[in-house]
Amino acid sequence: MPEFSVFYSAFATALSWESITVILGGVLLGYIVGVIPGLNRAVAIAIAIPLTFYMSPYAAISFLIGLSKGTAAGSAVSAILLNTPGESSSAATCLDGYPMARDGRPRTALKIGLLASVIGDLLATLLLIAVAIPFASVALKFGPYELAAILIFALVFIAGMAGGSFLKGMAAGGLGIVLGTVGMDPETGAMRLTFGYMELMEGVPILPLVIGTLALSEMFVQLDEYRRNKGQSAINLTDNQNDDLKWSEFKTTLPTIFKGTAIGAFVGALPGLGPSVGSFMSYGAAKRSAKNPDTFGKGDPRGIAASESADNAVIPASYIPLFGLGIPGSVSAALLVGAFMIHGITVGPLMLREQPEMLFSLFSGMIVASLLMLAIGWYGLRIFAKITNIPSHMVIPIVIFLCLAGIQVQGYGTFGLLVVFGFSILGFFLKKFDYSFVTFLVAFIVTPMLELNLRQSIILSGSDVAILLDRPIAAFFVVLTVILLVRFAWTGIQQRKKSLPNAD
Amino acid sequence: MLRINFWSGLAVVAFSVTLLIWIIPTFGGGGFSFGLPPQLIATIGAWIMLLSSGCLVILSSVSLVRSKEPLLSGVNFSEIWHQVWPFLYVLLFIILAIYLPLTWIAPLLIGGLLFILGEQRWHIYLICTLTPTAGLYILTVYLMRIGVV
Repeated sequence: MPEFSVFYSAFATALSWESITVILGGVLLGYIVGVIPGLNRAVAIAIAIPLTFYMSPYAAISFLIGLSKGTAAGSAVSAILLNTPGESSSAATCLDGYPMARDGRPRTALKIGLLASVIGDLLATLLLIAVAIPFASVALKFGPYELAAILIFALVFIAGMAGGSFLKGMAAGGLGIVLGTVGMDPETGAMRLTFGYMELMEGVPILPLVIGTLALSEMFVQLDEYRRNKGQSAINLTDNQNDDLKWSEFKTTLPTIFKGTAIGAFVGALPGLGPSVGSFMSYGAAKRSAKNPDTFGKGDPRGIAASESADNAVIPASYIPLFGLGIPGSVSAALLVGAFMIHGITVGPLMLREQPEMLFSLFSGMIVASLLMLAIGWYGLRIFAKITNIPSHMVIPIVIFLCLAGIQVQGYGTFGLLVVFGFSILGFFLKKFDYSFVTFLVAFIVTPMLELNLRQSIILSGSDVAILLDRPIAAFFVVLTVILLVRFAWTGIQQRKKSLPNAD
Repeated sequence: MLRINFWSGLAVVAFSVTLLIWIIPTFGGGGFSFGLPPQLIATIGAWIMLLSSGCLVILSSVSLVRSKEPLLSGVNFSEIWHQVWPFLYVLLFIILAIYLPLTWIAPLLIGGLLFILGEQRWHIYLICTLTPTAGLYILTVYLMRIGVV
């Protein structure tokens, strides 16, 4: 366990003016991105990574974490005022947020959403701090056998749980594995799948890959959707005296917020599920446990509280497997791994041993981000309500430009631009044909780690599989992986049978 | 969805077969190694793709036959064009960026797209084109001054 001075120093770093400014910038930008429909968390982080190149590692990661948290809270604004969620995870917020705003109480709905977001986020951040450190301490005792087995298990789990078809998830994961091997083989020095391009010697550059597959492809999808949904207008905030949140009303939502936070934290800690699952599960649970479930869907504040608390609790909780085991469980966590890599840091349990101050500074920064989120959301309500009216046809061209500019500024040149373009086509097809994007990205990121651990395992064991009998944890995860594979395949077959109208 | 699964699965099968019989053996690297040859992980990845997409094709084709849906539906060229033109538009500017600095072509890239999407207010053109371009210019100048670019 680290010394007390490390904790003290970490909090001092997080509370310095430079740190607060960076986190404030991240949360503010995230809030704005979250408010604008069509821009999502992944797009925002992908575009912002180039901006963080010249920051210190702590500032860069804090900025991105602040951004990630800000988008989750900001997406509620467009869900409530426009009936269009800024993030798919805020779709459940529309169900009660929009009717409440339409009934002349938009400010109340926004404030409930904000407070639920902040409480959910803050409690889940504290849970992350409480859980990730003991988790990482245990993980530090793992050898290559255990790590290889856990990584394979995580990939199969994510492929099955990330939504959509398990087979498509596995196919996307396979592609991620193939792309993850590109570059120089660390053992033989052989060039793998580089096709003679020196730029690929160190692997497929992560920045063009994430900007292409996440941001640029999303803009192409948005352009297609813009054609279909033109001319939406948001509900404006008025000076109606009756439209403000009262303590008595907020008190009634508190149990729902705590329950939503617990559900969100649980869902977030499991790799691959994501905030959409968390918010809808929480909404469903709140509706089922309510004495008067009929009010849900008609502007019940508990509906907003349930959805938003879970949505925001998922984000910090999804960093538990990241900091505890080095496994990114969501797209935003995978993007953070990319940012860590760019700054030369290996994220995972080793951080606890090698860079404890950095780890605790990040945790402290996350608490600061939660509090800043409250301040920004509370005082910027009116401004963010206005931002909701920015039409997507103004946003899309600027984001496309930012995608290309981000690559050029990093010095990737024409090669980088062509890589971005290539990956934007891949990302477009992954989204259009519903192939799990998160599995692809996680597989791409963990493949070098998987290969390293697998290689060490094979060398240490002399290719003897019986070694697993002496490694119960590794054997447990291998068995669990096989069970998961069978389970997902069986569930897929059952669902297919049910979906067929003529099936017996 | 069944048709999409079938055709996308077939495309993945074709790609993974190409990976397994040509790309990985030719470009996957070689050399002596202890236990884990350079091509092994990529080959495993390609096999995962092949097996998963193969199963997808078989299951979706069985479902298609049972539900009596046709394998092909009418091709809507207008729909395809609406999805393809943004790619061509961006590709055009990427090609231009080979010859010209991005700060020169940025107003054209943003302004052109605004025009295509139906924007008519001149001040919107001004704000949307000049602000990001100026931002990129200032950033580039700053990076050049500190010697990064």
